[in-house]
Amino acid sequence: MSVRGPKRPRGYRRLRGADFGWAIAFILPYAAVFFVFVVYPFGYALWMASQPSLYAELLADRSYLPAAVNTLLFVGLGVNVKMFLAVLLSGFFLCPRWWIRALLAMYVLPWAIATTQACVSFHWMLQQEGLVNGLLSALFGIEGPIWFNNRWLGVGANILVYIWKWMPFWTVIFLAARIRVPRDLYDAAEVDGATGIRRFVHVTFPLLANLYLLCTLLSTLWTIGDFTTVYLVSGGGPAASTHVLATLGFHYAFDASKPALGVAAVMSALPVLIPIVILLMRKLQTSEIEL
Amino acid sequence: MTGLTRRSVLHGSLGLVAAGGLARPYIANAAATTAEVWWQQGFAQEEDIAFKKLVADYEKASGNKIEASIIPFAPLRQKEISAIQAGVVPDVMEYADFSFLPLNAWADKLVDVSDIVEPVKSQYIDTALRATYTYNNTTKKRAYYAVPTKAAGIPFHIWKSLVEKAGFKVSDIPNTWDEFLDFFMPVQDKLRAQGMRNIYSYGYQLTANGVDPAITFQGFLMAYGGKNLVTPDGKLRTDDPQVKDAAVKAIAKLTTPFKKGYVPPGVVNWNDADDNNAFHAKLIVMDFDGSLSTEVALYRKKEEYDDIVTRGMPLGNDGTKIPSPMPIFGALIPKGAKNIAVAKEFLKYAAQPNVLNEYLKGGLGRWALPLPEIAKSDPFWFKEDPHRTAYAEETLVSPTLPLYEAFNPAMADVNAEHVFSIAMIDVMNNGMTPEQAIDKAFKRAEEIFAKYPIAQT
Amino acid sequence: MSITLDFPSPAPRRYRLRRVLSEAGLVVLGVLILIWSLAPVYNMFLIALDPEEGEIEFAGNLWPPEPSLESFRSVITQEARYLEDFWHQFGNSLFIGLLTMVLTVLIGSLASFAVSRMRLSRGSLLTNAALLTYAIPASFLVIPYFRIMHSYGLSDSLWAVIAAQVAFAVPFAILILQLYGSLIPFELDDAARVDGASAVQVFLRIYLPLMTPALAVVAVYALLLAWNDYLYPAVLLAVRNMTVAVTQGQLFSDTDAEWNAMMAAAIIYVLPPVALLFALRRYVAASLTTAAISI
Repeated sequence: MSVRGPKRPRGYRRLRGADFGWAIAFILPYAAVFFVFVVYPFGYALWMASQPSLYAELLADRSYLPAAVNTLLFVGLGVNVKMFLAVLLSGFFLCPRWWIRALLAMYVLPWAIATTQACVSFHWMLQQEGLVNGLLSALFGIEGPIWFNNRWLGVGANILVYIWKWMPFWTVIFLAARIRVPRDLYDAAEVDGATGIRRFVHVTFPLLANLYLLCTLLSTLWTIGDFTTVYLVSGGGPAASTHVLATLGFHYAFDASKPALGVAAVMSALPVLIPIVILLMRKLQTSEIEL
Repeated sequence: MTGLTRRSVLHGSLGLVAAGGLARPYIANAAATTAEVWWQQGFAQEEDIAFKKLVADYEKASGNKIEASIIPFAPLRQKEISAIQAGVVPDVMEYADFSFLPLNAWADKLVDVSDIVEPVKSQYIDTALRATYTYNNTTKKRAYYAVPTKAAGIPFHIWKSLVEKAGFKVSDIPNTWDEFLDFFMPVQDKLRAQGMRNIYSYGYQLTANGVDPAITFQGFLMAYGGKNLVTPDGKLRTDDPQVKDAAVKAIAKLTTPFKKGYVPPGVVNWNDADDNNAFHAKLIVMDFDGSLSTEVALYRKKEEYDDIVTRGMPLGNDGTKIPSPMPIFGALIPKGAKNIAVAKEFLKYAAQPNVLNEYLKGGLGRWALPLPEIAKSDPFWFKEDPHRTAYAEETLVSPTLPLYEAFNPAMADVNAEHVFSIAMIDVMNNGMTPEQAIDKAFKRAEEIFAKYPIAQT
Repeated sequence: MSITLDFPSPAPRRYRLRRVLSEAGLVVLGVLILIWSLAPVYNMFLIALDPEEGEIEFAGNLWPPEPSLESFRSVITQEARYLEDFWHQFGNSLFIGLLTMVLTVLIGSLASFAVSRMRLSRGSLLTNAALLTYAIPASFLVIPYFRIMHSYGLSDSLWAVIAAQVAFAVPFAILILQLYGSLIPFELDDAARVDGASAVQVFLRIYLPLMTPALAVVAVYALLLAWNDYLYPAVLLAVRNMTVAVTQGQLFSDTDAEWNAMMAAAIIYVLPPVALLFALRRYVAASLTTAAISI
C-alpha cells in the first residue's frame, strides 16, 4: 500500500500582478542574505583550497588516510544509527502518557546543552578513573577499558557521543511531522488489523520515507563538518588515530598555523559532499509532489 | 590665521618643549594616533590588570591611544591565524603558540623589529633573543621578528607529602639525571603497598595531543646530550651519532616506566590540561610540565601550595649542568598593520626592564622574566617564594635553550605532526624498540626539514 | 473525531497480560532513555558541585564527595576566573540568539512561502542554491567570514555573528518548512484567495498558524545554533562583546580553567534554551493531546 499526500493543482500557475510583486518581496531577504553572506565566503574558501600542492601535502601526511576512514565510519554509523533510532523513538514519544511527555523534556536536553561542555564531560566520564568505568566496576564488577588508548574504542566513543547529542533533534523533527499525519490513515490501518510493528512498516514508514532520506542526506553534510565532538571527546588521539577530516583540518588550520591546508583537508571531501547536495536538491524537488 | 597670534605660538611652542622635555627619549613626535593591540589573557585576573596598567601608563607617557584587547588563549590563536590569512590585522599581536612566529616570519608576513630589540639586546637572556631571531625565506636572512615578553621554564613539580608518606625525604632526592628520575619508582611501590590504589610516579605527557609532549621530548633529549638535534643555523643533525644516541636514550627513559606501570595508562591520550588535573588529583607524584601554572592554580590554598616542591633540572649523568628548554612568548607586528610607528613605540615601551618586570610581577610570577639583571635585583623573583626561586634559577641562571622551532620552522611542522610522540607511542603500544622508533622519526623529520631549506650566510 | 476503544468485559487474560507487558516495555525503554540522556549531565553536576577545581576527572567518584554550591555562587557573582564578565556575555548571547531566531524564522518562512506556496517560478533555484551553503562545513568558512565582515565594516560587531548564523540557519529552515508545508493542502490557500485574501493575508492567517510546529522547531534550532556556537563569535567578535559560548570554549586547550566553575556556568547557560523549549512545547506537541491512539 503506498500513500500519497494531498494532491497539488496540475499545471503551473502564473503569478499575476500584485502577487508577483509580493512573491519577489518575500524572497528578497533571503536572496540578499545569500548573495551578501554566502557567495563570497564560499568562493574565498574555494580559492584558499585551490592549490594542488596542498593535496599532495595531505596525502603525504600519515594521518590523512586514517582520518578519511574514520570520517566514513563516523558519518556512516553516526548518521544512520542516529536517524534510525530517532525515527523509532519518535513513535515512542507519540504515546499519550503524561510521563512520556515529561520524559521528552529530559530527552531533548542533550540538544540544548553547549556542545563543548557536554563533550568535555564525556571526555572525563570515559577516563580510566571516570564515571563510566566507576559504574561498570560498581554495578558489574568489571574493570572498564582505557577508552582512549584504543583507536576503535575511541572512534566508537566519538560516534556514541555524537548520537547522544543529535538524536533528540532529529527525533523532534520526525515527531513534528508525524503529528501531522492524517489520522484517518491510522484508523483505516487499525481496521485492517495492522497494529504495532506492522503498522509502522506499512503505514508510518512509507509516509516518512522521503523525509527520512532528506534528513539523512542533510545530516551527512553536517556530520562531515563536525569537528567539536571528536576534538573534545577523543582529541583525535591516541597518536592522531581517531581524527576525522574536520578535526584534522582544524588542527592544520589553528594548531599548526596552516589554514590553507586545513581548508584543503575538508575540501578533499567535496567529491562526496557535492553529489549529496545535488541528491538533496533533487529529492527536495520531488518531495513537492509526494510527501 | 586669526587665532595664530605671537603669544599663542609662543605658548604652543613652550608647551611642545615642555612635553618634549618630560617625554621619554624614544618619542619622536607628539601626534596622537591609535594602535590596536591583541594580547593574551592572563591566568589570574591580576595579570590582566597589570597589563591594563602597562597600557594606561604608555598612553599617558606618549599621548597615543591603545585599543587593547585581552583575548582568551584559544580564541586568540584562531583570531590571529584568521587575521594573517585574511590580511586584516591589528598593529601588535602577542602570539599564543610556538608555530606562529617561525612560520609567519618564514613567509615574510611580519615586520622586522630588530630596531627595537638590537639596542636593548644586553638586557635579555640569550635564549630569549635566539627564540625571536627567526629566518625569513624571502629576504633569506634572520632578523628579530618579535619582541620577547615572557619566558616559561619547564620545572619538575613534586608532591612533598606523597614522597614523605612513602617514607622518604625530599632531601633524599638524588641530583643526577637518571638517579633523580628513578627515585620516584620506589615511591609508587611504597604508596601502593600502603593501599593507595590510584597512584603513579610520573605524569609524563606521552601523548600526541597538545604542545607538552614535544617540550618533554626536547627536555629529555638535551639531558642526554642531544641538544644539537637542531642547531641554531637551522640544520637537522640526525646524522650526529651523539644526537641519535641521546634520542634513543630519551625515548627509552620516557617509555620504560610506562611499560612497567609507573605512568597512568591513560596518558597516551592526555591533552595539555590532563596532566595538571592528574597532578592536582594526586594521581601522580611528579610532573614535568611547563610554567608554574600547576602551583599558581593552588595559590589560594596555602597548604597545598606549600606542599608542592618546584625544582629545575638536576645535573646530567656526567655531573655537568644540562640545559632545559625554555619557550619564549613575545609580541610581533604583522605586515599590513595600519600604525606601525605606534606599534613599535609601544613595544619599545613594554620591553623596558622596569615596565616588563612590574607587569610580570602583577601576574603572580606565572611567567618568568627574560631579563636576568633586574630579576636578580628584585627580591620577588629569587627571594620571596621557593617556587619562584626555583623557577627563576632554572630560567635565568641555569643553561637554557629555546624551542627548536625558532631555529627552523620545519620543527613546527614536525611537532604539529607529533613525530616524536608517535615514536614514543610506537614503543609503548606497537612493540617497536627505541632505535626503530627513532629511525622512523628521524626519517620523517628529514623529509619535513627538506621543505624548509635555510640559506647559510 | 476521536475513536475510543471499548473493551468487552471481562478482558481476556492473554490480552491483559500483553498490555501489561507492552506497558512494562515502554517503562523500561523510558528508564533507559532517561539514563542515556542524563548521565553526562549528571557528570557535569558532579564536576560543578566539586569544591576543588577539576580533580574529578581522575578521582573516580560516583557521588559528589563534598557537594558544594560554591562554584555556582562564584559564577553568579562573577568571581570565577574567565567568567568575570559572565552576565554581560550572557546578554550578548541572548541578543545574538534571539535575533538569529527571529530573523531565521522570518526570512525562512517568507522565502519558503514564496517558493512553495506561491510557486514563484524559478524560485526553487534559490532554495536549491541555499543548500549549497552546507557543501563546505561552517568551521572552515570562518576565515573568509572574518575577511568579509571587515569589508562590510562589521568587524567586532554582534551583527556580524548574527548575519553568519542566519546565513547558516535559513537553508535548513527553508528545507523543513517546505517539507512540512507539503502536508498542508493547497485548497486552503486557493479558498482564501477566492475569498479575496491578499498574499500577505494568506501568509499571516493561513500559512503561519498551520506551520507552527515546524516554525517552533526552526526557532529552537536557530536559537541553539547561535547560542552554542564557539568558533564564529570567537573569531568575529571583540573581547568586549563576546558570548558565554566563547568563554566556555576556553576548555579547548586551557590548563588552568576552573573546571567546576566552567561546568556550573554551562549548567546556568542551558537554562534559557530549556525555558524556550518549555515555552514552545505546546506548539510542537499541538496535536498530541487529541491523538487518542496509543501505539
